[in-house]
Amino acid sequence: MSDKNSTTMVREVAKGETILTVSGLKKTYGKLEVLRDIDLNIKKGEVICVLGPSGSGKSTMLRCLNLLELPTAGKIELKGEVVFDGGKPKNLDELRRETGMVFQSFNLFPNMTAKGNVSIAQIRVRGRKKSEADKRSIEQLSKVGLDEKVDEYPDRLSGGQQQRVAIARALAMDPEIMLFDEVTSALDPELVKGVLDVMRGLADSGMTMICVTHEIGFAREVADRVIFMDEGYIVEEGSPDQVIGDPREERTRQFLGLVLDH
Amino acid sequence: MDVFFDTFFNFQFMADHFDVVWQGFIVTLKLSVVGGIAALIWGLILAVLRQLPGKWLAPVRWIVIAYIDCLRGIPLLLVILLLSSGLAIMATEGAIPKEIGIPQWFGESDPFWYGVFALTLTYGAYMAEVYRAGIEAVPRGQTEAARSLGMSHGQAMRFVIIPQAVRKVIPPLLNDYIALMKDTALVSVIGLVEAVQAGRDLYSEFYNPSGYTLGAFFFLIVTIPLARFVDRLIKKQNEKFQRGMP
Ligand SMILES: Nc1ncnc2c1ncn2[C@@H]1O[C@H](COP(=O)(O)OP(=O)(O)OP(=O)(O)O)[C@@H](O)[C@H]1O
Ligand SMILES: [Mg+2]
Repeated sequence: MSDKNSTTMVREVAKGETILTVSGLKKTYGKLEVLRDIDLNIKKGEVICVLGPSGSGKSTMLRCLNLLELPTAGKIELKGEVVFDGGKPKNLDELRRETGMVFQSFNLFPNMTAKGNVSIAQIRVRGRKKSEADKRSIEQLSKVGLDEKVDEYPDRLSGGQQQRVAIARALAMDPEIMLFDEVTSALDPELVKGVLDVMRGLADSGMTMICVTHEIGFAREVADRVIFMDEGYIVEEGSPDQVIGDPREERTRQFLGLVLDH
Repeated sequence: MDVFFDTFFNFQFMADHFDVVWQGFIVTLKLSVVGGIAALIWGLILAVLRQLPGKWLAPVRWIVIAYIDCLRGIPLLLVILLLSSGLAIMATEGAIPKEIGIPQWFGESDPFWYGVFALTLTYGAYMAEVYRAGIEAVPRGQTEAARSLGMSHGQAMRFVIIPQAVRKVIPPLLNDYIALMKDTALVSVIGLVEAVQAGRDLYSEFYNPSGYTLGAFFFLIVTIPLARFVDRLIKKQNEKFQRGMP
């Protein structure tokens, strides 16, 4: 492997083994307690969908997982290595390299083509040669159905196409875990399916995924586990059939009632 | 009416002394190109220093902010006077090398270089603020996307933020550049003969201000097209914005 940092994280985690552990995660902004006490245990290959009302802390939790946001307290372990335990993050670079993130608002770099977007971090962070990075970028882009758009700038792409470039950009870094934050919420209805199809394919290929989503149907079909969050707590978690089909908690029921009604 | 034309638009006078003003204007151009490029670079450096992250670099940020505030608050004329006299004295006292205290690089005079320094220091501060506005106008999601891909703060700045920021601020930077070009006239106070001083020299010798008018023409030949160009850029950017593009 020509990767600059391929040797730093030697441990390989087998499918079904724990890959990410979060315990006692808290996040406050001033007086506002956004995450109160989050415990999570994620196994390799698992697909988790996170549901919950607006403001419940879903995005904040995702952003804490790759330390885009610094937690106020708690412990995060990736593949058995501590990456956060209060104070300064440890192995931050490794963590960011092992986790890919896709945002609601795409956040493609408008000054680069689709290929440039997918290549830049491969070159600058993974240390790949430009020719190799570009080759991989083209592969990734064709996997998400964008072979034709490799040389387009983001402003010439539809929202759905932009979001698929963003997914390809994260995947090109060979992450262990993918974080999705309401990636279809900003899309016109007819463009949602293309993105969900890509995510479905990714789940089938064995990728570990945490998806914050309002697509209940997608959660029901693809998730191994569904988490319902409210007011900074995990209120309920379990199989999709249980949490969505037969929720134990009143708050979950209320929320699903509101979402499924229309 | 004849008096008016003889005074301000004496074309015969302008033709006779064209070369004097033209030579002065070449100095103006050189000064504004060298000083302008240096200010553009220095301003970007200041803006980047001002955005350095973390607790430990806070002193750097404070120093940069203090510097920018001070230089934006002092007349350029004063900076020119301070620099030229200060550096010259330090050099003659032996506190700094003579090549720096009384610079005469590339065959240009020391007042020319004092002018370059002063324009760089002052306009660097103005331009740093313009760059900053541009950096802050880049959506936060851009930094987050870059960081989530594992880029460092520096890499995110260099490959993602700065290229977008600079594109956004080209029009205001060009406006500052036009202002800088006109302010080169102040360097005449320490003995540099640029376009305005050339006009003054002609006036004191011949008691006719048409040399000034000629100088004004020269300035306008450069500044009006630049101003039009800025306008067009802004219009293009607005159109892009209205189409809902970044
Ligand atoms: N940087 C911040 N500073 C202050 N408050 C914040 C910040 N980021 C988020 N919050 C607050 O934290 C709370 C949770 O926000 P978060 O974005 O995690 O919610 P969410 O569950 O993702 O909601 P949505 O479904 O609307 O995206 C909100 O009340 C929000 O206002
Ligand atoms: Mg959110």
